[in-house]
Amino acid sequence: MVAERATEFDPSKIKDQALRDLCNVLEGVRGKKSLVVDKALSGPLGLIAQPSLLQDYGVVQLHWIEDDNIDYTASKNILYIARCTAKNAYSIASQIKNAPRIPGQDLEHSLFFVPRRTPLCDRILEDEGVFGDVTINEYPLYFIPLEPDILSLELDDAFEDLYLHKTYTSIFNSAKALMLLQQQYGLFPRITGQGDKGKKLLDALLRMRNEAAAEDASTSMALAPSSIIENLVIIDRETDFVTPLLTQLTYEGLIDEIFGINNSHVELEASVVGTAMQGPTETTGRSVGTAPAAPQGKKRKVLLEGSDRVFTDLRNNNFSAVPAILKKTALRIDADFKKKDDYKTVSEMKTYVTKVLGPAQKDRTSLSMHFNIAEIIQKHINTELFEKTLEVQQSLIAGYSSTQQHELMTELIARGASLETVLRLLCLYSCVSTGFKPKDFDLFRREILQGYGYEHVLTLDALDKVALLQSRTVAGSAAAAATRTNYDYLRKPLRLFSESVNESDPDDIVYVYSVYAPLSVRLVQCVIQKSAVAQAARGGGSLNPNSAGWKGFEDVVKNVGGKTFDEVQKGEDKAVRARMILDGQNEKKITVVFFLGGITYTEIAALRWIAKQEEGKRQIIIATTGIINGNNIIRAATTAARTKPRQT
Amino acid sequence: MASGLQNPTSTWELVSGQYYRKFTVFTPSWTQDEDFNLDDYLVAGAPFGGALALWKDPRKFHAYQGGQSAKPNIIICNLAGGLLRRITWDRGAIQAIGWSDDEHLLVVTTDGSVRCYYDLQGNFTQFSLGADAEEHGVVSCRFWGTGFVALLANNVFVAVNRYDEPRPRPLALPKLPSSESKIHSWALIPPNYSDSRHVEVIMATDQTILIVDATESQDQILQNGPFHHISVSPNGSYVALYTGDGKVWVIDVKFQQKLSEYDSGKLHEIPLDVQWCGIDSVVLVWEDEVHMVGPAGAALRWYYDSRVNLVPEMDGIRMITTEKCEFLQRVPDVTKSIFEFGSSSPPAGLLEAVGYLERKSPKADDAIQLIRPSLPEAVAACVQAAGHEFDVDWQKQLLKAASFGKSVLELYNSDDFVEMCKTLRVLNAVRFYEVGFGITVDQLERLTPDKLIERLVARQEHLLALRISDYLSLPTDKIYIHWACMKVKLSVDDEDTICRTIVMKLSGKRGIAFDEIAKSAFEEGRGRLATQLLNYEPRAGRQVPLLMSMEEDEIALDKAIESMDSDLVFYVLLHLKKKLPIATFFRIINDRPLAYSLIETSARNIDTELLKDLYYQDDRKSDGANVILRESLMQENFTTRIDKLKLASKLLKDSKEHALDASALEESIKLLTMQESLERDVFEETFVGLSLNDTIFKLTRLGFHPRANKIRSEFKMPDKRFWWIKLRGLVAKREWAEIEEWSKLKTSPIGWEPFFNECLSAGNTKVASIFIPKCRNLGHAERINMWVQCGMIVKAGEEALLAKDYNSLESLLPKATGAAVPEIQKMMQKLRPGR
Repeated sequence: MVAERATEFDPSKIKDQALRDLCNVLEGVRGKKSLVVDKALSGPLGLIAQPSLLQDYGVVQLHWIEDDNIDYTASKNILYIARCTAKNAYSIASQIKNAPRIPGQDLEHSLFFVPRRTPLCDRILEDEGVFGDVTINEYPLYFIPLEPDILSLELDDAFEDLYLHKTYTSIFNSAKALMLLQQQYGLFPRITGQGDKGKKLLDALLRMRNEAAAEDASTSMALAPSSIIENLVIIDRETDFVTPLLTQLTYEGLIDEIFGINNSHVELEASVVGTAMQGPTETTGRSVGTAPAAPQGKKRKVLLEGSDRVFTDLRNNNFSAVPAILKKTALRIDADFKKKDDYKTVSEMKTYVTKVLGPAQKDRTSLSMHFNIAEIIQKHINTELFEKTLEVQQSLIAGYSSTQQHELMTELIARGASLETVLRLLCLYSCVSTGFKPKDFDLFRREILQGYGYEHVLTLDALDKVALLQSRTVAGSAAAAATRTNYDYLRKPLRLFSESVNESDPDDIVYVYSVYAPLSVRLVQCVIQKSAVAQAARGGGSLNPNSAGWKGFEDVVKNVGGKTFDEVQKGEDKAVRARMILDGQNEKKITVVFFLGGITYTEIAALRWIAKQEEGKRQIIIATTGIINGNNIIRAATTAARTKPRQT
Repeated sequence: MASGLQNPTSTWELVSGQYYRKFTVFTPSWTQDEDFNLDDYLVAGAPFGGALALWKDPRKFHAYQGGQSAKPNIIICNLAGGLLRRITWDRGAIQAIGWSDDEHLLVVTTDGSVRCYYDLQGNFTQFSLGADAEEHGVVSCRFWGTGFVALLANNVFVAVNRYDEPRPRPLALPKLPSSESKIHSWALIPPNYSDSRHVEVIMATDQTILIVDATESQDQILQNGPFHHISVSPNGSYVALYTGDGKVWVIDVKFQQKLSEYDSGKLHEIPLDVQWCGIDSVVLVWEDEVHMVGPAGAALRWYYDSRVNLVPEMDGIRMITTEKCEFLQRVPDVTKSIFEFGSSSPPAGLLEAVGYLERKSPKADDAIQLIRPSLPEAVAACVQAAGHEFDVDWQKQLLKAASFGKSVLELYNSDDFVEMCKTLRVLNAVRFYEVGFGITVDQLERLTPDKLIERLVARQEHLLALRISDYLSLPTDKIYIHWACMKVKLSVDDEDTICRTIVMKLSGKRGIAFDEIAKSAFEEGRGRLATQLLNYEPRAGRQVPLLMSMEEDEIALDKAIESMDSDLVFYVLLHLKKKLPIATFFRIINDRPLAYSLIETSARNIDTELLKDLYYQDDRKSDGANVILRESLMQENFTTRIDKLKLASKLLKDSKEHALDASALEESIKLLTMQESLERDVFEETFVGLSLNDTIFKLTRLGFHPRANKIRSEFKMPDKRFWWIKLRGLVAKREWAEIEEWSKLKTSPIGWEPFFNECLSAGNTKVASIFIPKCRNLGHAERINMWVQCGMIVKAGEEALLAKDYNSLESLLPKATGAAVPEIQKMMQKLRPGR
């Protein structure tokens, strides 16, 4: 039943493939082996495999590439898994060179580059004189499904790469990953998007498609437009920096803001997690044998994902709705436990125990953890600092910019609020108001330097380069106008600001930030849910909901930063027909939304809300380079200033 | 039976219930040459009916033939003896020759150097088995589909797993029973059949057998050695051992069970070779005598006029002698069921029926009706049997039978039939003596048609390859590319003509890698042609390596940028940086933003001097200063840190636009110096590295108020900020008296609310409450709330009373306890008397 299979979009296949490939990598070296992993990959690999897998495949010790305490007597096989960066190639080369020579036992180094082996890395290993000592292979790990509707490349440094260093490695990687989707499901019939880097991604995709067509005659059929995917929407993070700069107000978003979620894992105090969630929760992938002991204290890593029913109910809601849901869940679980009286016979009891009691017990453990988390969040958002921060944010978003916000911001600095908090506000101000007036700009720069250290000259310089924090002389220049998003203009036609949303039963995506609809998601709506946007803005409009691309919102996108694109991908007639016959025509179409440069949990919540509205008509698959929040963005800029003295 | 056809069973022989057939596939052309004697040569045959490599047996004396060059030759020919290539050998004593599945020829010399001839044109790559091999020498080699193992004179086995990137690796040292123990014989289990998925070696020493893999050597503890031959079956499940007393044992590969035993009766003559024929019989060769041992230990014997060379295949064995090239296999079951004497199986009946039909005998119908119920199976069997036949006439006869049978059937899926017709056409085409493949249908299935076409292409049979590819709807790109490469290499036309010919032939074809063709042109020294051809390559990335070797550096860089592959761009840049003077290098990257960014980013981590040079020549002062600033942050030494900062600020001073940065850096020097002196004065406290705000905070917290004040005025810190910091510092120190004192002296520029809040969150409600009356800017409701937060309900009540707010009073009542209750009630009375 070929047709059946092709109509399903099944991300679990990607995960299975990744796991199979990983097993092949581990099997590639016979017997006991020491595994040396790129730290940037530890998270993604943890999402693919359980740590026990490593032991099953004979891994006796696990190290990061930066470690210099590998025990070479444990095994003569050293297996490296690393992203194909120049830095990694140099580090691995020096590690191989410095490995002790034990007479009679030659070390065997094998190296798997993720996601591909490049001539660059070969060349570096050659230049460093270790090329002959190591067997080089590749491990093609691109998209990792975090959830059934989220595919992430989990590239930690995509933001720096795209907007600060402008080296664009992640564009190429994204294009490769999207090409893999196209090879499996057919071409995206239409690619609509916004942003300069997004345009580069489109160019890369089109180029790769042409090259694939030239490559091999047999792919022409696969590269006919897909009949199950309707379109790809590319949102370049650069078009909307404001959204991630704001404090996320959904449950999952707040967990990310307060605790930080990395590769779907959050690190919590053991007392918060509770006692029952032991064992499988520690899926951090570094607990094999003499793994480098992290000073974890009483912290515990917990996987946050859709299999946790309690969390699924909570994650996408505005936090103000959370207490009520927690209460409802508690009642539901209680009822589940009480159901036992309904079951009389032994076999009924058996069903009860496996079908009801088991999940209910799991839910109860999870519920108690989420009660604890919610309590901490509640405490956090009740602090004066949080309230004031939110106040500044919301007035800026509403378009009220006055001296009062300036005062509040200087006060936050004087009160020693965290650098991330303050810079997020300053960047937000700069983004919505086309930069600071030169006088204010100098004033705030001074405040930052005196408040947080003069090394942040580097941070401010970086933020200037990303166009996050600028003086009006730069931001307002004609050259910057093309890449700048005009929030003042967009606020109304897209109804970005609204104070009339029901947070517990929302009728618009505004709920995720209580008063603000993320621009990025509004743009997605402009493509796939045109009438909803029109309704939100004008109370119903005369838009044809079936028109494709940016149609109907040409004026809007003109005021969004960067290039606008809308590309139709056609195939050869023969191939199109063949694919249609193969896939069949089905009603439900898929939209793939690709966030280049990262997506926040709030935006995911908003997109899921849209997906729910469109249920039955359309499925939304979210793809991204990684999940980010405002703190990550600021940290990307502060890395230079955080240089530590070299240990000698 | 159809007349004029030789009965297929004429080549059959019966061994313990199984039929085997041995037939001549080719009569090699060397039989025409009277001087040629295959006995003088050693022979290695490629699997799947591929080429043979012949080289003079060094252990034999050869008649001196004048005129011939003294250098030995390796002759590569097909099974029909057709010469494919003569390789002049100039590299030292050949120890072993073998083939890979891709029909690459491997030549191993005694000193451990290996050549891999990857085409049949004499081109090769070369590598060494390592110092050990060089020192001790190679004794023998065994090959499998993708690699080989060499045994060195010091009893070390060295394995090579692939030829594209050969990495010779020693296996574990065999644990020989004693230091005098010799290795009598050995064989390997290829990775795809071993449990460990890596190559394993089975070797005989003393009385026993060892199994050696990459990590360990395992004694199988046998007593009946020495074993002079070991051979592993093609499916890796069984091992044949030739014992010292002339017996053949077949044992399962786990050495658990002896399956059969055969006594050759030759006690003192060790056979030259022992190989498997398929998976159920073993062939032994003594010069000109061949025994074939069947499954139950019974054997067939043949005698030849010359030495017999064995080339094992997956489904049989090739026997090559001076006179002929034969193939020996077990008769396939379908073939047996049709042709076995007296067979009454349905397919046999069908074949008979078609015979009647040809003779226009009415019995045809009777015969068909007889087997009617099992006709579909009969048709399928005839189709299959046709595939197993080498004789074209019998193929036809069997297909005719199948065709007749299916015409009688109402419903029949002809796919298998059509497929077999196609396959047979291909098989017959390549079995033609000029092409010289002796491939069976099963081998073709295993090899795959794609690989067959690769082999044809390697033999320069482009047209045939193309016809077959088209016929089987396989991609043709590789054939065209190979053809074009050959054209470039061999054509005597001028370059323009060659280019035109190639482009004309290849235009509109998919998947043509022009970079490969251009590369061969470049290697032939036809640079201009290479450039011309390269322009037709649509994939920018693929043009890059060749452009680099052609020293077209800037074009290579541009093509890399076009490909949007940052890693590739950086690869070119790395190459250019090494090669070019730095000024030229900077000029090249200057107008290429992506290249510039890549160099900038990598230099930031690896080579700051380069970065400084880069910024200097671009006059990017602020960036240059930032590099130095970053360096200063990495300094542990205080003086160098200050020096670096001074340097950075000096760089910025000249330009107006960076005035603020310059002054910030100067301030930072000032602050650092102050912090350093603070550290000298205040022991055991760190100040260096703190920000200005934090310094003042810390001083306040430690109680050094005059110093805090001094620094504050040095840096002209705004009042508001100073008050905030001081307040936080005092609260952190829990210096309540000081706070009270301070608040009396001056009016707060930040209001009194922060005083209240900070004290309250530090837990001191008493001090916090002091500031409530001072918060005159707030409404009474807020103040009531503040009193409540301090737990002073009565005070809150008074506030409410003052504002005449009855409702607030009422709401205060439940919060009140003890004496406060009547107080509040009294106040409520005051506002609403009479209740």
